Amino acid sequence: MWVVFKREMRQYFTSPIAYLVAFAVLFLTGITFTSDLRARSGLAPADGSVIQGFFAFVMIFLAPLLTMRLLAEETREGTIELLLTLPVQDGAVVFGKFLGAWAYYTLLLLATLVYPILLIALGNPDIGAMIAGTIGLWLYGGSILSVGLLFSALTENQIVAGFLSMAALFLLWLADSIGILFAGISVEAAEFVRTLSLRGHLSTSFLLGIFRPEDAVFYIGLTAVMLLITIQIVGARRWRT
Amino acid sequence: MIEVRNLTRRYGQFVAVDDISFQARPGEIVGFLGPNGAGKTTTMRVLTGYIPPTSGTVRIAGVDVMEDSLEARRHTGYLPETVPLYPDMTVREMVNFVADLRGVASRRARVDEALAQVGMTERAGSLIRSLSKGMRQRVGLAQALVHSPPILILDEPTIGLDPHQVIEVRDLVRGLGAADRTVLFSTHILSEAEQVCDRVLIIAGGRIVAEGAPDALRDSLQRGGRVYLRLANAPELKQVRRVLGDVAGVAGVESESGGFVVQMVKGMDARAAVAGEAVRAGWRVLEMRPWGATLEDIFLEFTASSRTIKRRR
Repeated sequence: MWVVFKREMRQYFTSPIAYLVAFAVLFLTGITFTSDLRARSGLAPADGSVIQGFFAFVMIFLAPLLTMRLLAEETREGTIELLLTLPVQDGAVVFGKFLGAWAYYTLLLLATLVYPILLIALGNPDIGAMIAGTIGLWLYGGSILSVGLLFSALTENQIVAGFLSMAALFLLWLADSIGILFAGISVEAAEFVRTLSLRGHLSTSFLLGIFRPEDAVFYIGLTAVMLLITIQIVGARRWRT
Repeated sequence: MIEVRNLTRRYGQFVAVDDISFQARPGEIVGFLGPNGAGKTTTMRVLTGYIPPTSGTVRIAGVDVMEDSLEARRHTGYLPETVPLYPDMTVREMVNFVADLRGVASRRARVDEALAQVGMTERAGSLIRSLSKGMRQRVGLAQALVHSPPILILDEPTIGLDPHQVIEVRDLVRGLGAADRTVLFSTHILSEAEQVCDRVLIIAGGRIVAEGAPDALRDSLQRGGRVYLRLANAPELKQVRRVLGDVAGVAGVESESGGFVVQMVKGMDARAAVAGEAVRAGWRVLEMRPWGATLEDIFLEFTASSRTIKRRR
């Protein structure tokens, strides 16, 4: 597993897409940070959660760029045949790749800590909220990357994998709004769909500095389920027909 | 040791491998000879645990590939038909990667040895993307060899190479058949199987249609085969027919590209008699060789009674 992890990490540092993603993240968060600071100046205290909320949102579109390659490329290039005929469990391959992506995401997240550090240097922000927000974003990252990995396992076309994961993540992101549409049919269904919301478990808790166990469980659980399904998809070629 | 018993693999309705059984012993290079789509790759994929058999058993070094796939894979080195390499890695990184995944002890020494075996030591630092196809094939071999496996499975290692590289890879493979190693080697080129292998399995339509040492197979092929004959003072077809038609074992004579093709009666080898009669008739023989003993002919020959082939035509 660590061998696969190491390879994926290396891959991120030699791949232009990973650098473009890093550039996009820092550039966009930088713009948001500056304009937010200017808007607030003299009116309201600086607030680190603006950047964190924005980071979560752009990741809906950028994380699939990090994961779309992972399994789709192996299938297309035929290297999956090598990996699956080595004495390595399917789970180790999938998990190693997931950890590689998550580690790269973690680096991106750490890079955005420059904004809270600036705020701390300049003023007196709510440090607790920043820490909670960072932990929340870290767990959130694991779950969106695992969704991306699942779609990468489903197709050998990277573009299709990336696009489908963006679409799926966007729907999940908006699930709280979508849930309202179901309210006319059944309150339970609306409530259920709402619970699946990616942003719901972030914006009303972690980003405000509130740690609710159910939110952590939601992200970890989503990650676990996605990874288990991915392992099954990868192992499916070994099912007897 | 590879033991395959009653192996069948279906893809939906299509039977890719149809109830085949064979063994390959340590120290043996076994050729798997067949046209494209005969079931070679499918069989190899089952042997390496990439896909499961529909029915039947496969034992690798005494381990059943379905019961303990990981253990069976430990004993196997595999080079798939599409050489599985990461283009953005260097040769050494690639072989290291596989060695690490296999948990090879004293990795450095083993990787060096595998690279030396395939003659890639000098290119160890090159990116795989920059290598020629023949070189990639060698890296693929190094990857399959790095844990010095007792069983080596090579799927068409010479396909798509230029003649020079083909010879190199053949020599390499022949050198890999160490004392207690079993090598299974697939190809669709008859002469290649003859050069490299101790024993040949001919597979067509998912079945093993012939098996034996290459020269024995060739001999049995020549019987009932055709012979091309070129004569210096070219006589008329009629004359040739008159003279050679009476030879025991000759079924007929046709004229063909400046010479004649002599058809033998099935199961008989009349080559010596044909040459003798031609000389006695006063013709000077310029050339005499097997005519069209291509793989296709072998399959037609060996599968004439096989329903599988007829159905697919």
